[in-house]
Amino acid sequence: MPLFGDKTGFDVLNQSKPRIDGADKVTGRTRYAADYTMPGMLYGGMLRSGLASARVVHIDISPALAIPGVHAAITAKELPNAKSWASYQYLTDVVRYEGDVVALVAAESRELVRDALEAIEVEYEPLDAVYDIRSAIQPGAHAVHEEYPDNKFSQSVYRIKKGDVEAAFARADVIVEREYETQYAEHAYIEPEAVLAYNNPNEGDMTVLSSSQNPFFTRRYVADILGTSMNRVQIIQQTLGGSFGGKEEGVGLAAARAAYLARLTGRPVKIVFSREESFLESAKRHPFLLRYKAGITKEGRIIAWQGTQIDNCGAYNNQTQFMNWRANAHSAGAYAIDNIETETFGVFTNNVHGGAFRGYSSPQLIYGQEQFIDECAAELGMRETDFRRINCLKDGLSNATGTTLNTVTLSEVMEYTLAQTDYENKRAKHAKQTSKEYRYGIGMAISHRSCGFGAEAPDASGAMLIANEDGSVYLNTGLAENGQGLKTAYAMIVAESLGVCYEAVSFYGTNTHSIPDCGMTVASRGTVMGAQSVKLAGLKLNAIMRQNAIELGFFSDTAKIEKACGLAEGSLRDLVVSDPEQLELKQSEFYLKEYPAYRVPFGAVTGSGLWAGKQMSAFEWFTPPPCIQDHETGQGTAAPTYAYGCVVAEVRVDLRTGYVDVLHVTSSHDVGTAVNPALIRGQVYGGIVMGQGYGICEDMEPVKGKCVCTNLDSYIIPTAMDIPEMQINLFECDDPSGTYGAKSVGEPATEAVAAAIANAIANATGKRIRTNPASLEQVLLGKKLR
Amino acid sequence: MHQLQYACPTTLNECLLLMKEAGAEAMPYAGGTDVMIHLRERASCVQNIRLLVDLAKLEPLHGIRLENGMIHLGAMTTHAEAAASVLLHEHAPFLAAAAATVGSQQIRNTGTIGGNVCNGSPAADTASPLTALYAEAVVASASGTRNVPVPKLYGRNGVELAPGELVTEFVFPSFAGWKTSFIKLGRRKALAISRMNVAAALELQDDGTISSARIAPGCVFRSPDRVHEAEELLIGKAPSRALFAEAGQLSSEEMIRRTGVRWSTAYKQPVLEALVERALLQAAGLPLEE
Repeated sequence: MPLFGDKTGFDVLNQSKPRIDGADKVTGRTRYAADYTMPGMLYGGMLRSGLASARVVHIDISPALAIPGVHAAITAKELPNAKSWASYQYLTDVVRYEGDVVALVAAESRELVRDALEAIEVEYEPLDAVYDIRSAIQPGAHAVHEEYPDNKFSQSVYRIKKGDVEAAFARADVIVEREYETQYAEHAYIEPEAVLAYNNPNEGDMTVLSSSQNPFFTRRYVADILGTSMNRVQIIQQTLGGSFGGKEEGVGLAAARAAYLARLTGRPVKIVFSREESFLESAKRHPFLLRYKAGITKEGRIIAWQGTQIDNCGAYNNQTQFMNWRANAHSAGAYAIDNIETETFGVFTNNVHGGAFRGYSSPQLIYGQEQFIDECAAELGMRETDFRRINCLKDGLSNATGTTLNTVTLSEVMEYTLAQTDYENKRAKHAKQTSKEYRYGIGMAISHRSCGFGAEAPDASGAMLIANEDGSVYLNTGLAENGQGLKTAYAMIVAESLGVCYEAVSFYGTNTHSIPDCGMTVASRGTVMGAQSVKLAGLKLNAIMRQNAIELGFFSDTAKIEKACGLAEGSLRDLVVSDPEQLELKQSEFYLKEYPAYRVPFGAVTGSGLWAGKQMSAFEWFTPPPCIQDHETGQGTAAPTYAYGCVVAEVRVDLRTGYVDVLHVTSSHDVGTAVNPALIRGQVYGGIVMGQGYGICEDMEPVKGKCVCTNLDSYIIPTAMDIPEMQINLFECDDPSGTYGAKSVGEPATEAVAAAIANAIANATGKRIRTNPASLEQVLLGKKLR
Repeated sequence: MHQLQYACPTTLNECLLLMKEAGAEAMPYAGGTDVMIHLRERASCVQNIRLLVDLAKLEPLHGIRLENGMIHLGAMTTHAEAAASVLLHEHAPFLAAAAATVGSQQIRNTGTIGGNVCNGSPAADTASPLTALYAEAVVASASGTRNVPVPKLYGRNGVELAPGELVTEFVFPSFAGWKTSFIKLGRRKALAISRMNVAAALELQDDGTISSARIAPGCVFRSPDRVHEAEELLIGKAPSRALFAEAGQLSSEEMIRRTGVRWSTAYKQPVLEALVERALLQAAGLPLEE
């Protein structure tokens, strides 16, 4: 199926409904976690070491406690479980990266918090350290954790073994080998992390209002630090000002620290990260060192693919193993290759931890892989378009995990995008430029991405729907709005499945007291898989409500039906409505399939239903079909389905300064079913700009473990003035795996952009940059200055 | 806690007396776009500051006027005002152009030319055209005023004024009839600190040859300054691509001679050559490429 617009049969989906939370956001009425205050509230703060590797020899908190208005100051010694349930430390006396916290304080004002932190006296003993992937894997390198003497994060090792790589390389006519490297990148969401923790016995031991991407994940930290049970901890997620994967560990740690201080002082405690703290403690897009080797026949078929993908975990981790699962499953890109052998693993260093960031490894991998594909084509003297045509995934072929794929729209998406951008003509024309000042370039990248968790984790979820007596409907589920538009998409899916008007549905976010843990809202799974339970609950309540309508007698007065349908009096005398199958419920109206002119409002049935004691709610749990992969070979089923994309970037490179102007980006995605096309476009626009920043200017530049760029004056993200012209093409297809056929788009939107830009730069300059980002110095000199 | 006093004098006299009294503990507050950041970061330049003296209400520090062929630019002129000034567009167009590239619209609405210079950064965008204009800063204190050429405001650690001193305005001759340009290279198109910039001005004779030239690159020397050899090369010659390329080369040679080879020289050398060449081409109205 082609471009968006051909699907039929939906009442609500496939339309650009306004965001359910849009008006409140743009008028400033929305409340964020940092907006809350409470009587008696204290502010909490963290003393961060600022050192990459050290031991606390002596720490004196008494000068802080001596300041009037300072209510608590604690160090790792005073905290019984300073190490969290994951490997991160709430507090520590062994510093493993510059964001590590050595003391916590709570005081009457933010100013007093600062004074108290400055009053604490700490003496450190500097320890050996290791900063980058290459040195971390050297024998004898400083071990960041005793448990991992070679710095190799053993739980994060994944492999693909498919076919016979050695034999295939022996048969290959051309062998190409390259190495690529990516940088530390920050989410840079508008809202820094914020939490407010308080104890109200009516609600449990601790309640935290938080800017959590995943409230249940935050709850784990709070229950852990307090040593209390999860049913006594309530996390109420507030509206997020962006997250992109960043408000997981950082917010969990902040919530736990605030909760501990709140218990210690008996007062509500609020912690709001400064921008610098947000840079220091939120997980980063982690650097990858990527080595690829391909064996290719002279006709252009890749017959062997070998890869080593090493990522920098930073000092702590509980995500690298999952990110590497993904990196492993996608280690051969969007290509059908018979013989593959890749290895992926993470190493610990004395840097900020890597973690979830929109794409979850893929932007790094695609940056390397899609440049590599261009380089292979160049070695063969073949057009990179033809090379991709030959090797890309198609129906009936299998990807790196050995999964045979169907409804592979990749070729169609790619050809459309190439034609629309006049890619091949421009590419050939640009290659002949002679200017010594500015040159133009065009580049492409393709992608395939597993939708949802797949074999990474169970993609299960639950949802509860409540119909009220007035016909309004409330949705409750454990998946969370992170700014991506989940509330809107879910309200639309409720409206579609239950058969009510979109406007009748509300969804106010997640409270951990009210619904089971549905897993994290990550992996672009919210709509494609997470909403499956919403749909199931809608369909179930639809059936219940049709039964209610019959039992409450709304279709027993045949005279009314005759009249409404313009039929002769008495003609339906024998009509008996007793089977819910005779009824439809759509757009908040019941009607008989056979006599649709007679309509009964949804609110009439709910109004009677309440007083008749009818069930008007439904809870459903969705268990996905199993995805099973062999751990040793990575072979099996990695995901229920895949999303396909193609990005073409056009740039102008200033040959004399290295400045890259991204002029135009065309981004095409197979979204299966476009649940809300306007929301998707919004995600893709944002994804393009995020990818542009990643490819051109974003770099935290850690120097010996200390990040040079920890605020938005020096960490350069694109501004409105830098954003290119953008063309978005949405494709739909008939793939039944996702909710109403939807596929992931949040992460596909950003993952291939930097690679396309890198390929465009190479087209313009004739020089290949294999280290991201394409900064002024990198483009002009082929290296970073420091 | 870092406790700060705040004063908002309404006359220059009152202001200068306040500053005299507070001495080194006083910090003039113009637009605040740098001072507030220094305070938040507790930068060394504000460590001993106890008094912020807000200059907003000092009438003589505002406005741009032409008097006897000289432009008087009040130190409190905002970048937005400078960028939109009809007077500047006629008499010093590259200064207006430089002001238009500072920060973002919000910063330009607040930040001032006086603050941009007195903050003392070698990356100050307006300092380059002011240097090319031979602008003098009028430095006032309770004991009188003195005129200081803009580059001479700078010492080892940026702008070094004596305690109690305040820049009230900049004075420079009209450059009406000159051909000027300002080129800025940043890491993005807005909210960018100059990686380097160049202000250039050419005066052409009737026969088309260059009678006077000013080239002031930013972020190149410790303080804003001109590249003298490159300027002299141009005198008496007709504008051409080859000539301007040579001027670029002389500029980078002068940079290396004066600042030595540093970690950033590998980048700055070729780029300064390009920016000087382009600034001169743009000033002379020549196309970038044939």
